[in-house]
Amino acid sequence: MSPPPGVRVAGDSHVGKVRTANEDSLVVDAARGLYAVLDGMGGASAGDLASQTARDAIVDFVVQRRLTMEPRALLEAAIQAGCTAVWNCAQLSRERHGMGTTVVACLLIDATRAVIGHVGDSRAYLLRGGRLQALTRDHTIVEELVDRGLLSPEEAERHPYKNVLSRNLGAKPDTKVDLLDVELRPGDRLLLCSDGLYGYASTEAIQYLLGSGDAPNQVARDLIDLALRGGGGDNVSTLVIEAPPAAPSSTQVVRTSGAVAWWQLRQRFMHVAREGGLADNPICRGLDPEEALDLVGLSLCEAIFHDLEKSTGVNVWTFAQNLAGGWFARSGEWAPLRALMDILVRAARTVVDEIRTLEPSLGFLLDVAVSRALVVAELAIGGLLAERLREVDSDLIQLHAAVMDTIDQPSLDSDDTPKFVDSPTIPFLRPDRPVTNSGINAELVSAIEKTLTIARARTSPRAELLRQILVALETIATDTSGNFASAVLAARELYGVRSVDDAGIMPLFDALDQARIITAASVHQITATDALRAKTLGAISAAHQRLVSAMTGLVLEAVAPFSERLREVQAETVALRDRVAHAEGKRAQLERKFATTIDQSQPWEQRGTTESEW
Amino acid sequence: MSTAPPVARAYDTLRPNILQRLLDMRASLDPSLGRLDDAAARAQIGAVLDHLGNFIATGDLGLHRAFLHTFLAMRAAEAQSPAAVLAMLVAIGDTAAQVAQDDGTGELALVLTRVTASTARAINDLIAEELDRRLAQWRELAAREREEAPT
Repeated sequence: MSPPPGVRVAGDSHVGKVRTANEDSLVVDAARGLYAVLDGMGGASAGDLASQTARDAIVDFVVQRRLTMEPRALLEAAIQAGCTAVWNCAQLSRERHGMGTTVVACLLIDATRAVIGHVGDSRAYLLRGGRLQALTRDHTIVEELVDRGLLSPEEAERHPYKNVLSRNLGAKPDTKVDLLDVELRPGDRLLLCSDGLYGYASTEAIQYLLGSGDAPNQVARDLIDLALRGGGGDNVSTLVIEAPPAAPSSTQVVRTSGAVAWWQLRQRFMHVAREGGLADNPICRGLDPEEALDLVGLSLCEAIFHDLEKSTGVNVWTFAQNLAGGWFARSGEWAPLRALMDILVRAARTVVDEIRTLEPSLGFLLDVAVSRALVVAELAIGGLLAERLREVDSDLIQLHAAVMDTIDQPSLDSDDTPKFVDSPTIPFLRPDRPVTNSGINAELVSAIEKTLTIARARTSPRAELLRQILVALETIATDTSGNFASAVLAARELYGVRSVDDAGIMPLFDALDQARIITAASVHQITATDALRAKTLGAISAAHQRLVSAMTGLVLEAVAPFSERLREVQAETVALRDRVAHAEGKRAQLERKFATTIDQSQPWEQRGTTESEW
Repeated sequence: MSTAPPVARAYDTLRPNILQRLLDMRASLDPSLGRLDDAAARAQIGAVLDHLGNFIATGDLGLHRAFLHTFLAMRAAEAQSPAAVLAMLVAIGDTAAQVAQDDGTGELALVLTRVTASTARAINDLIAEELDRRLAQWRELAAREREEAPT
């Protein structure tokens, strides 16, 4: 059994400033995950013999039985074996009568689980999240009196027999062992110690040193120094076990290793961008190819690197804004910018794919981070496109108003003006454009019917709207007249009475989406040739398209009054703006006149008046 | 047995958590969503999430584009700018990916991030198409104004 990976353990022991011999013993057996502190007692060298005898017996027991016993039972039996060994040893000589030892032992099962066993007043503490908590209760006479309610904790502290043990290893052939299962979390620290530590150091100071973040060997030494500074009246032993720290978060990995891996492959990025024709893109026209690669390719590569390093999107955002802003300022169109972005995205994907091949987990995290960076670029460009659309819209309104002024425009309120709602909103409804559906035959009709029967069978009975759409699709797809009348009729029936908002419209279009998916899947379930299946899918898709178009027409009709009113309000706004501008001009003119007419050097009451001029 | 790809099934499993996270932070996604009551916001965001699920399951870009077209039109009727719609959809996709990442379903987080990239690109395409239409209208009107202007 090897020690769990990432677990760090260190122990130290000191004779103290008063005693001449160290009766404490330590067990640090990383191979078996066994750690213990033992504090021996009994005069004439019996104390150190007791702790060493128990230590050896415990270790031997664990070595022999560790593969055949479960951890909790193993530790308990090992401590019992230690007790028996000390008892037997004490029976060999009169001087050794009364010798014994405490023990606090930890059997580490893996990096997240441990069993603690103890007898006597050596203690185990757990430091979690910077807070220290005792895991054991001392087996002393006084502590038992406190447990029975016969003494208060304050009285126990001052009691003359506070160090007299009620249990130890060696007083009897066997003893009762207290056991505790501990679940370890990343970064947790366990401290095993003899009373030479906590008897001469405050809990706060122990907590401070254990939580200092120093390595366990340093902490073990510092704790001993602490006890020595507190008087060092007893042997002092400390053993620090540290659970592995938490794995670094994905963000940390990307910020460090991910950013470096990305930057190391920048030449690959440039190569793919060059091969993709970056320099030939109209946006780079007039630039030397290498200059274009540097200005666009390397800039994005650098921006992504800095954003990965700092977990932000600001550099890619700025890059995309500069690139798109400059292009749009030159009246550039979307298509070349789109093509350029595609080249850059391909180059980025190539780099990420290569990192994924070399280091799958890092490559995966980088893939997410770089994909996110590219979303940021699209977002920045989208903002500029939308702003451009707003500006053109505004120009269009002004131009529209100007055109209205120059031509003899009939009043919008005039009854004989055709309203938007009266005009056909669906061009294909024009009677001069009849459509025939000549390709349909009995075999195809049968296949369509079978497909839609399967589709309906796969639809939940509660999805009423979806079922209605499937029925409508069958009617439209099998309509041999081939015109759009059936689609329009079905759309009107499905549309019914709805509010023109998300709650009214969205379910309709969602159900249409679902109908398309279900029918596309169902067509593979029918028994037919591939050619017939293809025809069936074509016919149903065409029917779906007609239904969607008819439905869109209805929605447009429904929003038409709002559009009309919006147009009127926009026209009124333009007129009002003109009047305000005119009034501003007049005011400025009058102010100039006022300034030249009035003698401002005179006191107010003697300046005269321009009232007649007004 | 479901024939949906594993990532689509993972999305369906995680959908309630994603919806809850989005509802909790809806005011920061979009002010108009913040003003809606819980049920209405649930319906609106739920519709977007349902569509995302369909897109993940089918990968049908045409359908995705059609949905976004409708969505843009609906939001425009509420006087919401295309940039705001884009920001909202990206925020929804990003939050969904974040929930997937927190849940440990990394593959789904990657798919959701890529879906968000496709969404952003499709919206940009739609805005650009609308821009082209308006520019054509503008050119037509400008020509008409020149013709009608008194010489």
